[in-house]
Amino acid sequence: MPAAYFLPRNELDRLFGALVADGRRIVGPTIADGAVVYDELNSSAELPYGRTADTAPGSYRLRTTGDRRAFDYGVALTSWKRFTHPSLIPLTRAHRDADRIVVESVLEEPPKLAFVGVRACELAALGIQERAMRAGPAGDPDHAARRDAALIVAVECAMATSTCFCTSMASGPEVDHGADLVLSELDDGFVVRVESDAGVPVVASLGLRAAAPDEVERATAQVAAVREVIGDPVAANGLAARLRTALDHPRWSEVAERCLACANCTLVCPTCFCTSVGVASDLDGADASTERSWDSCFSLGFGRVAGDANFRPKVRDRYRQWLTHKFSTWWDQFGSSGCVGCGRCIAWCPVGIDVREELAAIAPVSAPTGPIPWPPSPPEGRAPAALATITPARHVIATVRSVVPETADSVTLRLATNDEAVLDARPGQFVMVELPAFATPPISISRIRPGGLDLTIRSAGPATAALTGLVAGAQVALRGPLGRGWPIDAAIGRDVVIVAGGIGLAPLRPVIEAILGERPRFGAIRLYLGARTPRDRLFVAEMNALAGRADVEVAEIVDRAGPEWLGQVGIVTQLFDQAGWDGSRATAFVCGPERMMQATAVTLAERGVNPTAIWLTLERNMACGVGTCGHCQLGPFFVCRDGPVFSVAELGTAFGREGL
Amino acid sequence: MEPPELILPGRRGPRSGTPQRPRIGIVKFASCDGCQLTLLDLEDELLTIADRVDLVEFAEATSRRSAGPFDVLFVEGSISTAEQVQEIARLRAVSHRLVTIGACATAGGIQAIRNWFDPDEVRAAVYPEPTYVESLAQARPVADFVAVDGELRGCPISPGQLREFLVALVTGRRPQLPDEAVCLECKRRGVVCVAVAQGIPCLGPVTRTGCGAICPAYGRGCYGCFGPRESANTTSLARWLSDDRSAADVGRLFAGFTAWSVPFRATIDAYGGPPGQVLPARETDDA
Repeated sequence: MPAAYFLPRNELDRLFGALVADGRRIVGPTIADGAVVYDELNSSAELPYGRTADTAPGSYRLRTTGDRRAFDYGVALTSWKRFTHPSLIPLTRAHRDADRIVVESVLEEPPKLAFVGVRACELAALGIQERAMRAGPAGDPDHAARRDAALIVAVECAMATSTCFCTSMASGPEVDHGADLVLSELDDGFVVRVESDAGVPVVASLGLRAAAPDEVERATAQVAAVREVIGDPVAANGLAARLRTALDHPRWSEVAERCLACANCTLVCPTCFCTSVGVASDLDGADASTERSWDSCFSLGFGRVAGDANFRPKVRDRYRQWLTHKFSTWWDQFGSSGCVGCGRCIAWCPVGIDVREELAAIAPVSAPTGPIPWPPSPPEGRAPAALATITPARHVIATVRSVVPETADSVTLRLATNDEAVLDARPGQFVMVELPAFATPPISISRIRPGGLDLTIRSAGPATAALTGLVAGAQVALRGPLGRGWPIDAAIGRDVVIVAGGIGLAPLRPVIEAILGERPRFGAIRLYLGARTPRDRLFVAEMNALAGRADVEVAEIVDRAGPEWLGQVGIVTQLFDQAGWDGSRATAFVCGPERMMQATAVTLAERGVNPTAIWLTLERNMACGVGTCGHCQLGPFFVCRDGPVFSVAELGTAFGREGL
Repeated sequence: MEPPELILPGRRGPRSGTPQRPRIGIVKFASCDGCQLTLLDLEDELLTIADRVDLVEFAEATSRRSAGPFDVLFVEGSISTAEQVQEIARLRAVSHRLVTIGACATAGGIQAIRNWFDPDEVRAAVYPEPTYVESLAQARPVADFVAVDGELRGCPISPGQLREFLVALVTGRRPQLPDEAVCLECKRRGVVCVAVAQGIPCLGPVTRTGCGAICPAYGRGCYGCFGPRESANTTSLARWLSDDRSAADVGRLFAGFTAWSVPFRATIDAYGGPPGQVLPARETDDA
């Protein structure tokens, strides 16, 4: 088998025919509305022959070249993710009939496609997005199926546009791996390299002659010339580390004055993968469905959580989130840069913001390197627990056995299920809870018991209001258990301090029960419980019973109270900031509002508790639960997948930092 | 500003029993009726909707009339006369939730362009007998006069968003009405950006989505009929657009159906006022 073959220009349709004979539809470059786009092609005649694109920040113009080349346009507006990670896919179908519900995943059969004209940078992008979508604990099945069903015919670049910088990102212009076939376009035809087993029969069926040495040489020389033209416009070496130390750079505010937060950069980016889920239903909410669509960290709603709090209200926060993720925390999460240097975000920015310029200003080569704000990766031995059984598309129907009123706005649903994966939940894990026609909130597990789970839910919006309004016999659909729970084993042989604020006691109750179940293995156990008012105290009878035990210390405090309250009034840290115990022997588990947890972490540290032994559980906008939708990102973490339980040491300065 | 809570008490979720059908009214002020007629565009589900809600006031479809009370009152049109100022206050008092629909009610509408001009001269230019026209100096959005609980944007409103609103109302969930830019819809649909690829001025980056990106899909720039999105950075967009055109042309781009919305109005003022004969600006508060 020769190293390369030659396909005459006028025989390109024979290649198309061979791909069609392989059962594939062909997707490739064509011209629509003033730009090259990737779309389904019926013949090679639809390729953008003799056209090229002039790009600049905020500008893209097609131009006629006068030659007969088909692939001299740079990259198309839309990336291949349109076909591997479509902008809109159905996710679930649900039905409710009296108390019974059915929720099932909709997984479409992926079309068998051939991608013709994939650039080196785009090939790298396909790999990067694939790693993100398949990163544990459970990959996205739709993405995997679509990617696996595609055959890739790459075309090496013979020209560069002014916005190209693949050379800096080590993603091109040469195509060195990942394609099935690689074409190099010369004036009279194509040098064809076969790079995978799947490519062999396609080329064999064409009966091509071997490429002549001068043809191979011309192909090599032309891509080498492209590398020279692009140069090395972005100082990528050390960029991730420099960005980590630049989180407070004044340039973030300056670029935010220009940035429209319109999300174009993220939607044209070939690696950005963030999505949101929308719900549709009939008027009775009996037949419902969910769809997943592209979303962006530039939209205000992306960082919103229950109660309309928002973690990234400012455009500055959103631009910083995007840029630092792409070039820095992507390394922490997926072991590579999230940028391939295709330049789409530069050309398609409506106000011409040039990421190359912003990087040079925010993280110049001369930038001082200081301590990194968080450890580069989670410490050893803290891999997600008990998640191998989780399939993102699997819904478990559980039945409400009883409803326990807790406070004015919260109840505990006692759920019954015999699903082994759900029953294998660990303290600190959560489940996504779906009712047909409603949004799907993450709810932490407040008790794990034989035959079921308890979920303690506060009514904070319509979806949680619907859940707290359920009665015995009703059903809910669960996805989970999800996330990394409390590391109870780390507290064995040590004192345990548990600090809860309001509904934050719910995810801590399984810890308390697990520790008390093995009481002799732990030292002193101290519970510090805060609530807004006496009426907002959770699990009152249980906590009173604990307070009666000689081997557990329980102290309570409320923010405000009337004369009926005989206990302490104030904030929860007042319960232990003067305590006499030695924190160096203690492991702490903390849950409550984020500001309460920040204050608690400070006070615990003052009492001598090591930051590696202070564990807390964060609230973010967790939607997919498995790290593929992007909503709950916090610095190098996805809270759903890497948390929600973190140690203060792991979070570093990501904890409590505004706008992250 | 975060969207207000629109869920009606007693309508929270599937297990709340069978609540009363909500009493719905649809009324209009200065407007063309196009937005309220959007309800009739929901042809396939019209009978179901009529069964699930009690439509007590809707002059375009029924001769039944009601003075209230209303669980939800949809209000179309801008407030343009002294009489309307009194009527909207009365309606607010008898409505549990008041929802404005369309560019006129939410932003003042196209007629608000007259807000920049001398009202007497505008009247004289339009009507042969201007003495019979009793209008306020300005056409203004409903929210300038009474508290508004929710809004459906657009000129006209989107049937899909109206349906979503009604479904959310009767099922007890939060309506999904995105406040993000039109650009997201263009990119999801695969519409080529007319601004970047053709240099056509487009308000998509500062305009709330919901229309389905109709104009860019037909090769036109967005003219902002859904009004400003959250975080609308009109300053930056206008500055960028002013590189290739006169200040007057930039101001004109924003002077459409939602010209009187705060960010668009500020941009129009910064770029020399709305199109047409520029007359001395009037005091803005005659109401």
